[in-house]
Amino acid sequence: MPPRLNIWSACRALSLRTRAFAQGPPPAAPALLARRGLADNTTSRSLDSNNSSALPPSMLPGSSQPPAYTSKENEEALNQLKMIEYGLNPLDPSVEGHKFGLPELPLPSQKHAKHRYDSVVSQVTRLLMQDGKLAKAQRDMAIILNYLRTSPPPRLDPSRPLLPGAPPAHHLPLDPALYLALAIDSVAPLVKLRGFKGLAGGGKSLEVPVPLRARQRRRMAFMWILDVVRKKKSKGSGRTMFPHRVAEEIVAVVEGRSSVWDKRTQVHKLGTANRANLTHQGVKGMI
Amino acid sequence: MSAPNCLRCLVRPSAGIPVASVPRARAPLANLAPITAARSAPFSTTAANAKAKASSQKEAASARGGKKLQLGKFKKKDRTADKGRPPLPGERKAYRKRITLSNDNAIPVPWLTDLGPTDLAASENVAKVKSLPEELQDQLRASEAFKPTQRWGMFRKPAVLVRKETVDLANQMQDSANKKQMLRLVVTGDKVAGKSMMVLQAMAHAFLNDWIVIHLPEAQDLTTACTEYAPIPGTDPVQYMQPVYVLKLIQALRRANEKVLSKTYTTQAHPQLPQNIGANTPLLTLANLAKEPDNAWAVFQALWNELTAKGANRPPVLLSLDGLAHAMRLSDYRSPAFELIHSHDLSLLRLFANTLGGGVQFPGGGAVVAATSRNNAPRAPSMELALAQREAEQRLRAANNNNNSAPGDIEVPQKDPFFRGYDERVEAVLRSVQVLRVGGLDKLEARALMEYWAASGMLRATVDERTVTEKWALAGNGVVGEMERASLMTMRV
Repeated sequence: MPPRLNIWSACRALSLRTRAFAQGPPPAAPALLARRGLADNTTSRSLDSNNSSALPPSMLPGSSQPPAYTSKENEEALNQLKMIEYGLNPLDPSVEGHKFGLPELPLPSQKHAKHRYDSVVSQVTRLLMQDGKLAKAQRDMAIILNYLRTSPPPRLDPSRPLLPGAPPAHHLPLDPALYLALAIDSVAPLVKLRGFKGLAGGGKSLEVPVPLRARQRRRMAFMWILDVVRKKKSKGSGRTMFPHRVAEEIVAVVEGRSSVWDKRTQVHKLGTANRANLTHQGVKGMI
Repeated sequence: MSAPNCLRCLVRPSAGIPVASVPRARAPLANLAPITAARSAPFSTTAANAKAKASSQKEAASARGGKKLQLGKFKKKDRTADKGRPPLPGERKAYRKRITLSNDNAIPVPWLTDLGPTDLAASENVAKVKSLPEELQDQLRASEAFKPTQRWGMFRKPAVLVRKETVDLANQMQDSANKKQMLRLVVTGDKVAGKSMMVLQAMAHAFLNDWIVIHLPEAQDLTTACTEYAPIPGTDPVQYMQPVYVLKLIQALRRANEKVLSKTYTTQAHPQLPQNIGANTPLLTLANLAKEPDNAWAVFQALWNELTAKGANRPPVLLSLDGLAHAMRLSDYRSPAFELIHSHDLSLLRLFANTLGGGVQFPGGGAVVAATSRNNAPRAPSMELALAQREAEQRLRAANNNNNSAPGDIEVPQKDPFFRGYDERVEAVLRSVQVLRVGGLDKLEARALMEYWAASGMLRATVDERTVTEKWALAGNGVVGEMERASLMTMRV
């Protein structure tokens, strides 16, 4: 079987000649080249013979002649050839042909323009938004997060346990996004009641508990928080007051003072009471 | 057949009443009643108004409490706020404007050192963050140098970044104090570039070096007709004092400069004050006399005379003001002839303007520093022009001194000959001031600042060349307020 004919094998053949050009000790290679180049030229030969020293000028101390091939591309090509000689791939796509290199894949989520914020934070920001003013909602969210990190650490209420595995209270203010997510996830309901029309008899609807996905649970919890916030009176005035009230309510949730906890309990109670309806003939196979 | 006149009410049909649209005989009396009332006396509206008001009150009183017709499909949500004590007047604003100077959650920065008296003038401190010592914090707080828009409340203790401009300003102040001259300087620059912070640093330098500091925190408090004013008798042209503001100013002055004022003594007696103040009394005693607005202006004048007394041994004085544009225009106050009063006719601002214009010399030397504002600034064309001119002249002078750049391409802007809004009094004041332009930070300063933020736990990112350059570029080449917005006030913390 003949050896594979491709460009790399050709290069390997070339490498014997390039060995002299390799960047060893810098003065040696240019000297060789200079001497060889000078051999064809009579005028330079006479110059060389005029020189008192037997050594070529580039080898003399103090005289640093630029090598003959000091073009950047040339040097690069020679380096590539040298890499081939060592059996490496010189055309690594992550290095070659890119001004700033290739990004590491998979892209970290924060590098993606649409996912640059924490998932809970971005969902909640959109729930805060009114009249499609996203930028205002984002500013409000920034104010909320800032409030969370400047307010004193929450005093947890053991009767309102947060999510298992939550960090200790004094860690929360320095990671406000986690603080927010913890508050919302802790009061998020697990189920909602779905009414099946007319199944309960007498035109009444049959309430059946159905499980919620994480995003739905967060939405429900935050809408409850917003309901409470909208009925609260603000202490001050100005445009920072709404985000301040939201942030106060979030602190209240973590401290177990908020009325949102009661709502959650109530929904769970109803869900437990109606779980027998899951076996109803009309419901089976529908969920 | 219809009669030409309505037979029931005897009203003549006229253009005012849409007779044609209603069959006259069936026109309800109730509709006509108000019209007749209005017509009865066309030159007097009193009776008609009174009647209309009475009838509307009666309607409101007899509004039905029962079932109402619901026109829309959806019911309006009942959003009644919880009933509590309504906020007292001014309470909500106080909550909005409160200033917090520390955040106990922030991590204390171990390498942070307190500012010393010479630190702000030392060029090796450029691009270093230094914290304000406790005593200085109290002094600055008393003179209202901190502003609610600045982010003091995010860090463990208040700290400032020493910039090139800071060192420049502090050195100029120190020079003028050594020569017992006045430095007259206006700080200007882009939005959120740190102009007020520059004034704060000037004040910090002054307090640390035992100067007397008189700070007018907002010029708009004096000129937007929010505080009481009264003409000063015996002045021509009439000047106006603002006693309540001046009382507040004296109290702030006393609290901030207690130590220096108690070591400075009066040189003359002040028989015009009710309390007999002789020579060689501490200025603190004099300042303590201002207890109520009535005598505040007299006390302030006595203090001012003492501070400017020729040949006396006095510490240097720093006079500073923020929001210069408000002090360089017609104020919102009215004279008895109902003409607008020029800001320079309000006596306190007149003193400031005189000092800025070079008319007042403090015996111990000192500085008068004013900062412009870009957010809250009325249009003051003369001021803008004068500052641009002074800046161009400074650049010209610097180019001539260096002899290296061509001064030909620097043009001093001239007045627009077709514009009438210029103000000669303002031009006279700003004819020879120095201008300090506060620009963006350079990368080194930006890095120092971001390292401080990161060390405090407020910026959760690695501070390397890449992050610094990113934030620096996002902030319009290092505008410091924009850097704060980009890295501290984001959703991505």
